Amino acid sequence: MVDIVPLSSYPSNIDLLPAIQTCNITNLPENYFLKYYLYHALTWPQLSFVAVMRPRNGYTKHTGPGGSADLSGQYPKVVGYVLAKMEEEPTDGMQHGHITSLSVMRTHRRLGIAERLMRMSQRAMAESHRAHYVSLHVRVSNNAALRLYRDTLGFEVDKVESKYYADGEDAYAMRMDLSGMWLDWSEIEKQDRERAKGDEKDADEGEPVGEMGKKDDKMVRVKVGRGLGVGDLVERNEAQQQSVS
Amino acid sequence: MPQPLGSKEASLFRQVVRHYENKQYKKGIKAADQILRKNPNHGDTQAMKALITSNLGQQEEAFALAKEALRNDMKSHICWHVYGLLYRAEKNYEEAIKAYRFALRIEPESPPIQRDLALLQMQMRDYQGYIQSRSSMLQARPGFRQNWTALAIAHHLAGDLEEAEKVLTTYEETLKTPPPVWDMEHSEAVMYKNMIIAESGNLEKALEHIEAIAPRMTDVLAVMEMKADYLLRLGRKAEAEAAYTALLERNSEHSVYYDALIKAKGIPENDHKALKAVYDYWADKYPRGDAARRIPLDFLEGEDFKQAADAYLQRMLRKGVPSLFVNIKSLYTNPSKRDVVQSLVEGYVSGRAAQQPNGSAEDQTNGDNKEFLSSSYYFLAQHYNYHLSRDLSKAMENVNKAIELDPKAVEYQMTKARIWKHYGNLEKAAEEMEKARLLDEKDRHINSKAAKYQLRKNDNDKALDNMSKFTRNETVGGALGDLHEMQCVWYLTEDAEAYLRQRKLGLALKRFHGVYNIFDAWQEDQFDFHSFSLRKGMIRAYVDMVRWEDRLREHPLYTRMALGAIKAYLLLHDQPDLVHGPEAVDVNGAAETPDGAEKKKAIKKAKKEQQRLEKVEAEKREARKTTSAKGIDGEIKKEDPDPLGNKLVQTQDPLKEATKFLTPLLAHSSKNIEAQCLAFEVYLRRDKYALALKCLAAAHSIDASNPTLHVQLLRFRKALDSRSEPLPPQVAEVVNAEFDTLLPKNQNLTEWNESFLAANKGSVPHKQAALTCRQLLKPDTKPKCEKDLSSTLDSDLISIENGLAGLNLLNEWGSDQAAKKAYADKASKKWSESSVFQLG
Repeated sequence: MVDIVPLSSYPSNIDLLPAIQTCNITNLPENYFLKYYLYHALTWPQLSFVAVMRPRNGYTKHTGPGGSADLSGQYPKVVGYVLAKMEEEPTDGMQHGHITSLSVMRTHRRLGIAERLMRMSQRAMAESHRAHYVSLHVRVSNNAALRLYRDTLGFEVDKVESKYYADGEDAYAMRMDLSGMWLDWSEIEKQDRERAKGDEKDADEGEPVGEMGKKDDKMVRVKVGRGLGVGDLVERNEAQQQSVS
Repeated sequence: MPQPLGSKEASLFRQVVRHYENKQYKKGIKAADQILRKNPNHGDTQAMKALITSNLGQQEEAFALAKEALRNDMKSHICWHVYGLLYRAEKNYEEAIKAYRFALRIEPESPPIQRDLALLQMQMRDYQGYIQSRSSMLQARPGFRQNWTALAIAHHLAGDLEEAEKVLTTYEETLKTPPPVWDMEHSEAVMYKNMIIAESGNLEKALEHIEAIAPRMTDVLAVMEMKADYLLRLGRKAEAEAAYTALLERNSEHSVYYDALIKAKGIPENDHKALKAVYDYWADKYPRGDAARRIPLDFLEGEDFKQAADAYLQRMLRKGVPSLFVNIKSLYTNPSKRDVVQSLVEGYVSGRAAQQPNGSAEDQTNGDNKEFLSSSYYFLAQHYNYHLSRDLSKAMENVNKAIELDPKAVEYQMTKARIWKHYGNLEKAAEEMEKARLLDEKDRHINSKAAKYQLRKNDNDKALDNMSKFTRNETVGGALGDLHEMQCVWYLTEDAEAYLRQRKLGLALKRFHGVYNIFDAWQEDQFDFHSFSLRKGMIRAYVDMVRWEDRLREHPLYTRMALGAIKAYLLLHDQPDLVHGPEAVDVNGAAETPDGAEKKKAIKKAKKEQQRLEKVEAEKREARKTTSAKGIDGEIKKEDPDPLGNKLVQTQDPLKEATKFLTPLLAHSSKNIEAQCLAFEVYLRRDKYALALKCLAAAHSIDASNPTLHVQLLRFRKALDSRSEPLPPQVAEVVNAEFDTLLPKNQNLTEWNESFLAANKGSVPHKQAALTCRQLLKPDTKPKCEKDLSSTLDSDLISIENGLAGLNLLNEWGSDQAAKKAYADKASKKWSESSVFQLG
């Protein structure tokens, strides 16, 4: 039986990363260092999901030093995953999600796993990050994936990106609106506004504490280090072609 | 004190620093040289030049210069800081920390030094040091939230949960108004606090807290999961039921939610009717789901099971779901369920599937029926190929029928290959898997499987050739270079194991070390996140990552690699001539001539082969030179100077090298009996009796009747008895006392061995172990033991793996060619489709 679990939210399944990497390199030609998976898991922990075979005797969590004799409950077999992110510097200025990679072992197809992984990720993009839409790339020849995105999930082809893949194949750039799934924050924000008004009256200008805004969020290069900071890593991997099976 | 510079030089020095920061290394060196022409002993400049030199990859020169800089200016924080950075680049973190500390003593207010020190303390898990560093960083800049969070992390990981929570709360209290709801840094920091509260064990408080914060939290799913978990653990059943219902409405494909829901509802395990009703509800609600239909098969019995299984199987077979069998096979530990499944599907292929359980016979077109039939044959093929229901000739019959109906189905063809594998015919298996690959050449999954099967028959070259259809072959090192760079652990491990089987130890070690290095890289990967995650604010994910990194090498991928590497080093230690290649050691144990002429000849032949391989490798490298030599990051990558692993295999001390792989294995997988048994082999050969005994004791507590352990107990006794000089009295006392509890000294060993055999009747591995001991105890019984070993082949219980282990045992015993041939012939007859019993 296949379970769909979050990668690094609660509970954390981050110890599945090597198996996710194995699943990717077994199935797809577009591969990444483990660090790139870590980067996804630690920047947008809400957005990635994993499909695992439920172990015969159920799941066990790490049991302390020395491990346990039988690790099959702790390291279940990974049969699919979706690795997703938020676009960091959206060219259109719209917050949106992006599917970095999605694959399901061919021995586990026709169970609707890819669809479920996608829906979980899309929902998290809308709820946690107020993503306006989600985008992805798919090989023009990949009919099965195209059917999933267009017919089942409701994606639309945005444009064709010529020679997107390393082997020269074109990609459809697809996207789907997510704003309908946003959470309603109006009540909370109304309360905040009212509170702010009340505070203004008896304002006692204190020093602003901390950096609330998102402006400091931009990646800072690690100044000194072993060659590469995470910032470099991201750019380099963006240069590599990414895909969706 | 930094030596003063003239104003022109001072400005040049600022340029050096800027060039370094902008990675304009050549310009940096030029400017530094300009200063040094006038002030040849200026420590700070030398230090900066050293730092740039190190970034250009010239570590030796860099270190020499940095040392000179320090000699010229012991009191410069720049010199010490650079010295630390150089050590860090070499991953000598202890020395780096020392150097940073010196720098910080000179310049206590320097934020960059403080930060670099803190990062290393985190990497080294020096939590007390980290608490200190983060405290002073917080004092210096209390306005930054991340400084508060970082201190909380330090306390949390050091185990002081109370203090961690206090730090977070102190910061929260400075917030006059709640940050906007979209402020994820805030949201995550608050969630992190909840995680700490829950870990402290105060679930009531954690629940109260999460309910209070929930409306503003952005990670909606995590809030739901945490709350549901707390409720259930607190026994607040009605609320827990509601919480898990809500989770299932989000994701109905998660068996853990169902388990929790049923616990919350308080349904007893044996109330199958009530259980089934729960699952039926969800199956109706989400008709396309699988979990709610599949799980009841686990608990239903008798006729109920049969009906449910019938409905489930037919539904999935009609949909042609290829994973149906892997989804079902866990039921087979219950033999009656196994038999029901078998008779149901056998029924389908003989045309007894018409009546759907709900009564409405489906109107099938011919096409649908054909898919149903081929899926059913495919299911049966896997069924009869599975070890709990194995009948390989039936498996083959069914897979052929499936293929006949759908010759283009890759999965069917793959299963045919797997059947051949179980027949013990790796050549046929690889051949059939290759056919499967050709059915869909654009699919990497089947390509990977084809390569794996080629490795299983020790065809490393062909396997790599297959893999290269999906790798970036312009990488330095070609396809193999890409597989290393992309950290393709499964392939490198399989490749290594194939070389080990061929006793090509250089290449085997090369690959094992390749995987070892990947684990090092994975450990190193966390470094950048110590600062990155504080900026991003996703603290729970970060803390989870740190904890995972601490047990990284517990991963089964590490265990498998390390076991292989240790075996390779043991083999190298036992047969040092293998350093020249497999040809140097005659595997068939042909009679050695007194003057060793045969051996000399063999070594000469092996050396010649090694030279040939080196030449081939050099040619390949030459051919690649014409193509680009740049990695994907634009870095110039060097060709590996030892692609064949010749340097690795020439080690003077294989056992010491083995220890490198062994230490993490014992630290993280001490409950793995194979690890303990291999560790024993290493320690025994190193004359480390106390350590060897510790492994025996550990293995004994895992499985007292393990066959390998049984033989090792005897070998340890014999090793103790046959020592030429006695152990040091203190060691001897401990060893003798401890070992006496495992195998008492006054025990009659023959009786001990025979009672082991009697207690484990029917198990072939135990019988093999007892026979090994018998001929160790009385070497003159060897011919009889060989005969007895051969007669294990008559057992109904013997698997082909057991049979193969028996053949290897004859090698271990040093049996002659005739004995081996007799055994192999008999085994070949028993497993007539196999090829593994052909002697080379």
